Amino acid sequence: MKVSYYPGCSLESTGKSYDHSTREVCGALGVELQEVTDWVCCGSSAGLKMNRFVSTALSGVNLALLEKEEPGEVVAPCPFCYRRLASAQEEMRQDPKLKGEVEEVIDAELVGSLKIHNLVTFLREKVGLEAIGAKLKKPLAGLKVVPYYGCFMVKPQQVTGCGDTENPTSMDEILAALGAEVLDWDFKTECCGAGLSLSKTDKAVELSGRLIREAAFRGADAIVVACQLCQANLDVRQGQVGKEDNKQYDLPVIYFTQLMGLAFGLAPAALGLNHHLVDPVALLQKKGLIG
Amino acid sequence: MNRLTGAAVEKDFLSRVIEESGQNLLACLQCGKCSGGCPISSDEVAGPRRLIAEILYGNKRQALEDPTWWYCVACGTCMTRCPVEINMYRVATALAEMAEEEKVPPSEPDIHLFEELFLKSVEKYGRANELKVVMNFNLRTHHPFKDMGVGMTLMRKGAINPGEFLKGGRAGERVARIFSRISSKAQRKGTGE
Repeated sequence: MKVSYYPGCSLESTGKSYDHSTREVCGALGVELQEVTDWVCCGSSAGLKMNRFVSTALSGVNLALLEKEEPGEVVAPCPFCYRRLASAQEEMRQDPKLKGEVEEVIDAELVGSLKIHNLVTFLREKVGLEAIGAKLKKPLAGLKVVPYYGCFMVKPQQVTGCGDTENPTSMDEILAALGAEVLDWDFKTECCGAGLSLSKTDKAVELSGRLIREAAFRGADAIVVACQLCQANLDVRQGQVGKEDNKQYDLPVIYFTQLMGLAFGLAPAALGLNHHLVDPVALLQKKGLIG
Repeated sequence: MNRLTGAAVEKDFLSRVIEESGQNLLACLQCGKCSGGCPISSDEVAGPRRLIAEILYGNKRQALEDPTWWYCVACGTCMTRCPVEINMYRVATALAEMAEEEKVPPSEPDIHLFEELFLKSVEKYGRANELKVVMNFNLRTHHPFKDMGVGMTLMRKGAINPGEFLKGGRAGERVARIFSRISSKAQRKGTGE
C-alpha cells in the first residue's frame, strides 16, 4: 500500500521520534510513505487564530501538491496538520469565493476530493488489526497504559467525523492488539493546554496536571499519545505538576507508534525511545520489554 | 465599563462576526454547554457563552477585548457539544482579524506575541522553526532562561538538535505571495481605500 505522507514542522524538530517511529512501523507493515515534496507549514494554531486566509491558503499549497501525487490519499501523524488539511478542503468546498481567492494566490487549481487520514485511524481502519497482529513479535504483556487522544484528531466531530468524541476506541484497540493492558479512564479527549505551553505556561501545567494525576490514580505505567504537542506538554510539564503535588510522577509519555515498533521487535533506538524527558526505557526494561 | 452608545457600528458588529466566521450566533441558546466544557474557561477568562452574549448585545469593544478568544486553543470541544453546532474557533479568527484591523491592543500580549513570532517564522522559512520561535519568545518576554534545564536535557538526549538554531531555508514563492497578499490588504485598509 502506498500513501502520501505529510509530516509537518514539529515532526522535523521536537517531534522527530514520532516521525521516525511512524516511518519504521509503516515500513514493517508494508505501507510505503511517500513524503510530499516541498510541503509547507499548515500555519498551526497561530495561523488559524490570526488569519483565515493565510491558514486556508497554506493548507491550499499542501493540498495542491498532494493532489498531484499518485496515491490520492494522505496520512498526517500530527493531529493539527491533519485537521487543518481536512478542514481547509471542506471550507473551500463550502465557500467557492474563498477557494477562488486561494487558487489565485497559490497559482494552482484544487479538485477538492483528497482522502485525508490521521495516523491512528489510518492504521486502525486502512491497515487493520489483523495486519498489525500478524507483525507482533514481542507482546506488551504486563504494560498498563492509558490511551490519550487529545483534541485535534477527534474534535470537532463535524470536521473529523470521529464516531465518539468522548470515548474514542481506535487507539485502545491497536494497543490491545499489541498485548498491552489498556486501562479505562475519563480524560481521553480532555485538553493538555496545547499551544498555550509557552505563552500561558500556568494554564498548560494546570491542564496537563489533570491528565497526569488521573493517569497516576488509575495505576497506569505510561500515557500513550498520538500527538507531538500532547507528548511535549505531558512530558515537559510533568516536573512542574509533581512540584505542585510534592511528589514525582514518573509517567513516561510514549507515542503509540513507538509501542507498535517495540511490539514488532524493532530496535528501541530507531524508535527514539531514548528521547523523552521522563525516561520510558527504565520502565520498559523493568517490564522485560527491552533487553 | 462598557456601555452601548447606539452607534450604527455597534449594530453592524454582530452581522459582521456572523458573516466572517460563518457561524450563526443568532441560533445560540445561551445554554452554557460550551463554557462548561471549555478548557480555558476560568475565574479570569469567561469562556464562549459569555463571549457570544457580548457579540449578541453588540458590545464590540468588550468582545474585542475579551481574553477568551485569545486563550482559545481551537480544541473544538464547544462545537462538538453545542446543540446548534457553533464553531467558536472560527469566531475567534473573525475577532482576531477585526481587532487587528481596528488596532485594538491585544488583551493577552504574550499569546499575541507567540502567534506573531510563529507566523513570522513560517513567512520567512515556509516551515516553522520551532526552536527559534521558542528562543525569540523567551528573549522578547525577558525570560531568556525559561525551560532552559528541560531544553538542555532534551538536547543531551538527542531529542532536539541545536543545529536547528542555525538552520536557514527560505519560503517558496507561493508562501511569499500568501503573506504579501494580507500585508497589501492591510495597507489598503490603512489608507482608507
